[in-house]
Amino acid sequence: MARGAYLAAAAGCDQCHTDTKNGGAGYAGGRPMMTEFGTISTPNITPDAATGIGGWSETDFARAMRWGIARDGSHYVPTFPFSYFAGLNDRDLADLKVFLDSLAPVSRPKIAAPQSLALLARARAAIGAAIMTNFASPLPAPSDPMAARGAYLVATVGHCGDCHTPLTWLGAPDPGRYLAGSHGGLEGKSAPNITPDSKTGIGDWSTRDIVALLKDGETPDGDFVGASMAEIVRNTARLTEDDRRAIAAYLKTLPAKSFIKKK
Amino acid sequence: MRLSIKLLAFGAMLAIGAVNTTSALAVDKDQVIKDRQALMKEQGGDMGSVKGYLDGTADQAKATAAATDLIETMKKIPDVFPPGTEGANPEGKYAPKPEVWSDSKGFLAVRDTAADKAEALLAAVKGGDKEKIQTAFSDLGKNGCGGCHGKFREEIKK
Repeated sequence: MARGAYLAAAAGCDQCHTDTKNGGAGYAGGRPMMTEFGTISTPNITPDAATGIGGWSETDFARAMRWGIARDGSHYVPTFPFSYFAGLNDRDLADLKVFLDSLAPVSRPKIAAPQSLALLARARAAIGAAIMTNFASPLPAPSDPMAARGAYLVATVGHCGDCHTPLTWLGAPDPGRYLAGSHGGLEGKSAPNITPDSKTGIGDWSTRDIVALLKDGETPDGDFVGASMAEIVRNTARLTEDDRRAIAAYLKTLPAKSFIKKK
Repeated sequence: MRLSIKLLAFGAMLAIGAVNTTSALAVDKDQVIKDRQALMKEQGGDMGSVKGYLDGTADQAKATAAATDLIETMKKIPDVFPPGTEGANPEGKYAPKPEVWSDSKGFLAVRDTAADKAEALLAAVKGGDKEKIQTAFSDLGKNGCGGCHGKFREEIKK
């Protein structure tokens, strides 16, 4: 259970699945999220039988996490990063379920799925997902064990590419520009280039600089991130120091890409 | 004819006056925005010095001076966000959100929080216990600086 709790914290499940602004219970969902498919309300992932994921089998859970398909057969919008979680290993997936099952069940009325989903955007995303079922990483895993651990944390668990990799016109992450920064990603926010390019990325950052950002949200010039990344720092601050170093080690192995400015 | 020349002269005077007023205002605003950026950079540098002490690259005296300066610079924050100075430094990456002025009470409350956390950091630095300094440093960074940067700052869309 401790392993599952750590993974949930690293992935930041509670960030989206908690309606923090309105004092909602942890993991009970209900946070409104602006997406290109309209504003959605995140689902309850506590083990409540009627409104949560209580009674789900391991297969149900795996299908939801890896394929984005709910127990009733409906598809989640890809705001839920299942394409990244597709790379989770079996043990981690099982541990996550044990942890979620250990939570106190919270009953929270389900909010009807928005009917006016942008159909075209959704169809496009479905094609994108079909072409590339695993969004995690287009690169082979590094041979160095520390960097390999970092790769798993960055590409799969942390789903960093969700914001930091730009999308192709089909709405799937561009494999040639992995983590090279994006304009208008999740909730319309842009995210910087985190490949080791000196000019437009983090090529000049030391391992210590990267670790400081993940721990406290501090950039090398003493600035502190706000907004979207501050939310992510709440996850990375919960990691062990070794895992933060592993992330830094992995980011340093990436091919440097130049950030393309918006015209 | 004479009337029109007079009118023309009057018009010209007005025009010159208008140009002067606008440029005078523009200079003021530009200066405030520059001062604002300089103040933020100074605070960033101060945080860097405290971090340096934690990492063993700066001594306690430097960290104490930096934490003291953080307290002083926190006091100056309202001075660099006067009404009518919306906008970003052209060389900067960020701009203040309109909420700085529309919710000035909230803005000043976050500043007060940051000021309290800066006091706590100075006390910790003076105490010399690195674990306590690290806690106070993270708290000021995440909830003081970061608290404001999340609510009241936005990235310039380039």
